[in-house]
This record gives sequence, C-alpha cells and structure tokens, in this order.
Amino acid sequence: MNISIRQLFGRKPKSSNIAKQRLKLVITQDRLDVDDRMMMRLQHELTEVLAKYFEFSMNSVQVSLKHEGNSCTLVADFPYKEAH
Amino acid sequence: MGRVIVVTSGKGGVGKTTSTANLGTALALLGKTVVVVDADVGLRNLDIVMGLESRIVYTSMDVIDKQCELVKALVRDRRVDGLTLLAASQKNNKNDVQPAQMKAICDKLRSTHDFVLVDSPAGIERGFSNASAGADEAVVVTTPDVSAIRDADRIIGLLQHARIDPINLVLNRFSPELVGNGSMMDQADVVDILNINLIGIVPEDTGIITSTNRGIPLVYEESSEGAQAYMRIARRLTGQQIPIPDFAQKGLFTSILNWFTRKS
Repeated sequence: MNISIRQLFGRKPKSSNIAKQRLKLVITQDRLDVDDRMMMRLQHELTEVLAKYFEFSMNSVQVSLKHEGNSCTLVADFPYKEAH
Repeated sequence: MGRVIVVTSGKGGVGKTTSTANLGTALALLGKTVVVVDADVGLRNLDIVMGLESRIVYTSMDVIDKQCELVKALVRDRRVDGLTLLAASQKNNKNDVQPAQMKAICDKLRSTHDFVLVDSPAGIERGFSNASAGADEAVVVTTPDVSAIRDADRIIGLLQHARIDPINLVLNRFSPELVGNGSMMDQADVVDILNINLIGIVPEDTGIITSTNRGIPLVYEESSEGAQAYMRIARRLTGQQIPIPDFAQKGLFTSILNWFTRKS
C-alpha cells in the first residue's frame, strides 16, 4: 500500500530501504562464505540436472539466498514453460 | 572480580576510542573503578582523546617487557575518582604483543577494578585478537551505514566464535533527521540485520568534536545529548534497566497520520 502510493507519485524508494536490502544480501553471503561465482556455478549445475526432467523458461531461472533474522534459505526458482 | 569488556567495531572511524573514553568516564562517574586500556599498539589515541597524553610514562609494552610494574603504568585521571588509563606503546607494532600477554594484563586488572574497557584497533587481525583475548564481554560500535554494519557483522561473528558473551551494540552517530526522511537506517533496521542486543544509541553530536579537541570527554558536558546517551549506556552496562529513547523524528505528515490512526 505504502509503496504503491509512492510509486503513483513517482517517488524514488527510500535509500535507507535500499541500504537495508543490499546489506542483508551481502551479509548473508559473508556469513555463509559464498560468493557470486559460486552461486552462478550452482545455478548452472542445478539447471543442467533439472533440464533433464523438466522444461522451464531458461531466462527466468533464479537461485538466491533469502535472509530472515538469524536464518537463511536457499531459494531456487525454476518456472515451468507456459503450455501453448 | 571485575568485568573485561572489549570495545570494537571492525571498521575504523566509527567511534570506538570516543566510546571507550566516554563509557570509561561515565562508569567512573557512577562510582565504579575503571581502567581503560588502549590496545591499538603503534597507533595509540585513547590517551589524547582523554586528554592524558602528556602524562604517559609507561605503556603496556613496558609491563610485558617487565620494565615496570602494572600498577605503575596506570595513569590516574585526576578529574574523577577511580579512573585510570593503560596506554599502548607508540614505538612497537601489533605483532610485538601476544594475545596471552594481553589476557594476563586484563586478568590482573580485573582483580583490582570493577570494569576493564579495552579499546580495540580497527580490523580483524592481530590487534583485534590481542584486544579481545582477555575479554568476556564486548561492546560493538557501529554507525548506520552499509560499510560499518557489514564490518560489525564480521566482528560479531568472530566474537561469537571466541565465545564472548554478551555482545552489546552501540549505534553511534545516529541522525534523527536523516532517519525521519528515509535517508538513514533506523535502529530497528540495524538490529534486524545484526541480530544482537542494542545497548544504546548515540545521536550525532557536534560537541564530540570540541570535546575531543580539548581532551575532555563529552560526558562532563551534562546538557549534551551525546553525554546523556553515554551516561545511559554506562548505567545499562551496570545492569540498570533504562529504556532507549525514540530519537527518530517523525515528519509532519506521519505525525498527523499517527494522530488520526492512533489506538485508544
């Protein structure tokens, strides 16, 4: 609600929120000792394996870390290809 | 037996030395016996921030080298009872001190003082391991910006690994105006990211600059917001329950909105 009103008036998102989101991501990576290269490699290998079994739209594949409080989740998005 | 608290941050320039000087003085003003230890060998500053630079004769290095007794190396702060400083050597470097030697000094000091505050150098290397070697507690100082918070998280990880507990956070140079207009993270954001106990917020206070120029810790200037913040933190360190005031100024619109939507 808050965001949509702001977007309606064309305001930029608050820089403190951007800082927080960026920090959360980078700190999660720091804590787990993973870097972008490793995440890319993981995404690549996961894609190779899953492609044997499913058809999904390659360009919307996403593997990322989600940080919540003290815990952290690995989120892998492999959206199915839309049936025509 | 006194408590040994390392004051640390990871990043430099966030206010470790200023915080050590002010918390040390504040604790002494509360009637505690305190020794502040400069662990920044080679780049000592606690003496000049406290205005004691002209009175340093011996340093912790002289104690380690058995050139003088530990008690003789302590410089008494004449402005308040029960406060002394142990200076760091300016001629040596961090690798000239072993963590075990620092621990031995801290253990000796805790037998005669209520509080031993160790001012850690920036970084995660030898200087930090020396400073934290004898500590059972930590105060992590950070400012609300991305680099200081990232480095604080790294330091917190190292402190937890060393089983230092509790680890308390001081949020320094907090600007209510910048938080109000969304340009600075607030305390909830910082605590959400770092996930440790917040022991106090020190608002941005230009008085810090003049007090450092003069070598008189800010806490003596009772009317200043920074001084009051450090006094509250010192009280919390002694176990008193004092709520953290809400510094964030709300914008006019938010205030009006809150007025209309407030719960009865």
